[in-house]
Amino acid sequence: MSKRLVRRFGGLLAVLALLGAACGSDDDEAADEPAATTEAADDPAATDATEVELVQADDDLLDTVMARGELKCGVSGAAVAFSETQPDGSQTGFDADYCRAVAAAIFGDAEAVEFVPLTAAERFTAVQTGAVDVLMRNTTWTQGRDTEVGMDFGPTTYYDGQQLMARASDGFTSGSTVADIDGAIVCTNAGTTTEQNIADAADAAGVSIQLNTFEDFDIVTTNFINGACNIVTTDGSALVGRKANQQPDGEEWVIFPPTPISKEPLGPTYGQNQSRFADVVNWTVYATIIADEKGITSGNVDARLGDGSLDAEAVRLLGGDGELQTAMGLSADAFHSVISQVGNYDEIYSRHLNRVGLSREGSANAGWLDGGLIYAPPAR
Amino acid sequence: MDDGDGVGAPVIGDKPAIERVATRPAEETHRSSAEWIRKNLFPNPFNSFLTVAFGIFVLVSARGLLNFVFSEERGWDAVRTNLRLIFTHAYPEEQYVRVWVCVGVVVALACLSLGLFASEGEGLRLRKISNALNATAVAIALGVVLREPSVLIGADGETVRDADGVVRQSFAEAMADRWAWWLAAAVLAVVALAVRRVPKRSDGSPAAVPTLDFAIGAMALPVLSTWVYPWGHYAFADGEFIAEPGRTVAMSTKVPWTVMWVLAVASLIVGRWVRAQVDERALSRLRAVVAFTWLVVPFVLYWVVLRDPDLDWDRIFTVDAPLALAFGIGGGAVLWWLTADGRGELGRIGAIALLGFAAFHWVAAFMGWYPMLQKVRISFLLLAVMALLAHNFSGEAAKRRRLVLAWLVITTVFHYFATVMNTPSTVETPTEALIGGFAVTLVVAVFTLMLSFPLGVVLALARTSRLPIFRVMSTAYIEVVRGVPLITILIFFVVILPLFLPANMEISLFASATLGYTLFSAAYLAENVRGGLQSIRRGQYEASDAVGLSTVQRTVFIVLPQSLRASIPPLVGQVIATFKETSLLAIIGVFDILRMANSVIPAQTQFLGIKREGLLFVSLVYWVFSYMLSKQSQRLERRLGVGER
Repeated sequence: MSKRLVRRFGGLLAVLALLGAACGSDDDEAADEPAATTEAADDPAATDATEVELVQADDDLLDTVMARGELKCGVSGAAVAFSETQPDGSQTGFDADYCRAVAAAIFGDAEAVEFVPLTAAERFTAVQTGAVDVLMRNTTWTQGRDTEVGMDFGPTTYYDGQQLMARASDGFTSGSTVADIDGAIVCTNAGTTTEQNIADAADAAGVSIQLNTFEDFDIVTTNFINGACNIVTTDGSALVGRKANQQPDGEEWVIFPPTPISKEPLGPTYGQNQSRFADVVNWTVYATIIADEKGITSGNVDARLGDGSLDAEAVRLLGGDGELQTAMGLSADAFHSVISQVGNYDEIYSRHLNRVGLSREGSANAGWLDGGLIYAPPAR
Repeated sequence: MDDGDGVGAPVIGDKPAIERVATRPAEETHRSSAEWIRKNLFPNPFNSFLTVAFGIFVLVSARGLLNFVFSEERGWDAVRTNLRLIFTHAYPEEQYVRVWVCVGVVVALACLSLGLFASEGEGLRLRKISNALNATAVAIALGVVLREPSVLIGADGETVRDADGVVRQSFAEAMADRWAWWLAAAVLAVVALAVRRVPKRSDGSPAAVPTLDFAIGAMALPVLSTWVYPWGHYAFADGEFIAEPGRTVAMSTKVPWTVMWVLAVASLIVGRWVRAQVDERALSRLRAVVAFTWLVVPFVLYWVVLRDPDLDWDRIFTVDAPLALAFGIGGGAVLWWLTADGRGELGRIGAIALLGFAAFHWVAAFMGWYPMLQKVRISFLLLAVMALLAHNFSGEAAKRRRLVLAWLVITTVFHYFATVMNTPSTVETPTEALIGGFAVTLVVAVFTLMLSFPLGVVLALARTSRLPIFRVMSTAYIEVVRGVPLITILIFFVVILPLFLPANMEISLFASATLGYTLFSAAYLAENVRGGLQSIRRGQYEASDAVGLSTVQRTVFIVLPQSLRASIPPLVGQVIATFKETSLLAIIGVFDILRMANSVIPAQTQFLGIKREGLLFVSLVYWVFSYMLSKQSQRLERRLGVGER
């Protein structure tokens, strides 16, 4: 009797355990199916979406993107003026517009972008697993990332650099240097290279500072405002934004030194060995720079194409003689779509960065003709 | 705000009212407030000191909070403008009616259930309502006095400053300036007085209103307020920053919220009407139907209503429907055969063979040997499980029919959802996620609980099993999971799990996070249920053996109901914990409500660095929901009489 009982009870448990296992797997299948389906959304009739070999490792990324009909662009989603999530959920900003520019080049439609907001920690994994095609997520181009991490970098769209911010009432001016901050309490956010950079710079200048780190830069700024920090330091673009928006009445904040203490070139980032896709991204960026150089804007591009006031290079670039673009696998007027739908470099820059107080003039982000570093190879 | 009534025994729903009145302390009615204060707050010097010290502490904290919340420097606009982002992230505005349909279905179902099954109880005594109103009036008056005077705003719209910093109003000015608050406090006090004047009922019991009616009636107030006060505003239209006073959140939500409220009242009335029409037996049938609806509703709302699948009918008629039909009929036939009389060992071997067959497909999937539809694999596995259960249903035709019917229902539901989930959504959002913000918090919490509950019960049964293999496996699982922090498990599932999956399978962030939460939560639920299992006396097992119940019958009808009832308090604690733990989603990169407040809103140019307001709002949202859960569990405990026997 008891033996039978044990057996039957055991049988029940086995069944229940299996049921549990089925439930578990049910869940992961169920929920991952939509994700897989989006991949094959264009061709749902082929076979069951979950089962198709969706992306082969040796597939050409450009073909994959074109077949999908949408660019998956990794952004921050929480970076002032570069990638902001607006109250209606849309993405705006300098980085977001470069995502749109690439989509305009590939599909002729700047809105064919699926923004994938990523944290700093997960961004490279996202590229490696194919969750995003390209990162426009203020990622500094470094040797380690270019080699070990397995990323490739496109042309730099924004030259950033770490600077310091202090109160004018503490005797700092925009001409101050790191040598002037002896004894100051310097605050920054933890877990980034900014901490290392300021420590190195202070060492090199022979000054001693007290370095306090906080979880993120909002908390750092709060501490600066209530006086717990004399000086804050991070990338110059962020400091200018903070100064523009958070400087209290009756106080003046200054940003120094004029030459940043670190180099932070930011630009598009993608996986290694995808030359065709890389070319498209790079030349999209170059097209915006060349258009800026020649004064072609989203407003006047059609008029200027029509009245023949453009030089041969610009006509080639905008599709008048579009063999260069068709050879890349794009339509001849790909870059015309970029300029008319998104704008040239200066338009993208001014639209988002001017209003937080960042200006191109005199910075590394001025065009090369104006003494800056923004430069593109010729389109021919 | 203990008004001295709470000292009696806990209210028990099913006792007659007369008895309850009799057990209440006799002196309660003729004790004055002064006496109460002397007795409870200042009984002796030391206690008086404690009262004063903690009173001062509370007042100082309240002053700090009030000064913070009502300070002119606070950027509450950041929260008001981003309400949509906070609750649903990027769900498109033109499809928003789907969100309201979801809210409506939940509201209607909840009120229907309440109307059908909620016991009336003795109701909410008017005296208690009056006390609460009075307390609110006092709190408002105190708050008005406590908050520091406002800063002066000059003609240029800037705050006025002198050498010492900002200039504030005088105290008298501030008090006069806050006349609206004084008025509100006065109105509340008058209403409280009026409510207190309502005479006792004719049978001598204190005047009371039904709790449910009162709660739903009270909800009319916030709903009505949307018609008057512009809670929140959209700052964005067509990507442009605007601050039109007319385009407020209240303007666009007043109609939906009113509809929700009317729906709530209507469902409550319908529920009560139906209850009055049917007898006990039909009511318990209805209870099963409603419970099943609650189980299915989250899936329908998420995958059908919110996702709005773009069904491809060609494919459904050529692939999906025939497949479901084949499994339904084929599986039904197999089960019918297995349950035939005298199948005996042959049936068992057949079931195990089926299980091996089903498992083989999974091995093949992980090895990548041959392609096969995922739902076919799952269907085979489900069929194998049903086949293993089959011997419990052999014999009479009615029992066999029930098993086959269950299989048909399972097949239909599973294939329906597999098809729906497999279909691309027609809802276009600018980001990859369909929903975010608080919606994702709710969805992950609900699916986690629905999936971890059965798993937890199975683990608990396995851990108390007499078979060492199950005991050891379950114990090992529970101890391993409980020994690892949740965030570690989540990161494991999000980062490492995708690497273990076969090449052609991918798992979304959302799904892997839910899986991680489920496995974690199940281990804790298992321990809670095990506590309940151990409270079952030996005599219960012996008695069920004596009446000839099978193991399944004993577990399902005798052991589990009692043990689950006993473990309600810890189970609800686990539910609340799971709900709050979803905030860890923010760390693994999901845009949940916490991430919105902590990093997304402070990164908007116009609200740069405004973080504390959002975090305070988010805590409030979490608190409201956790408190509701807690209240519901107390009701459930009272109804089931936990701690009474």
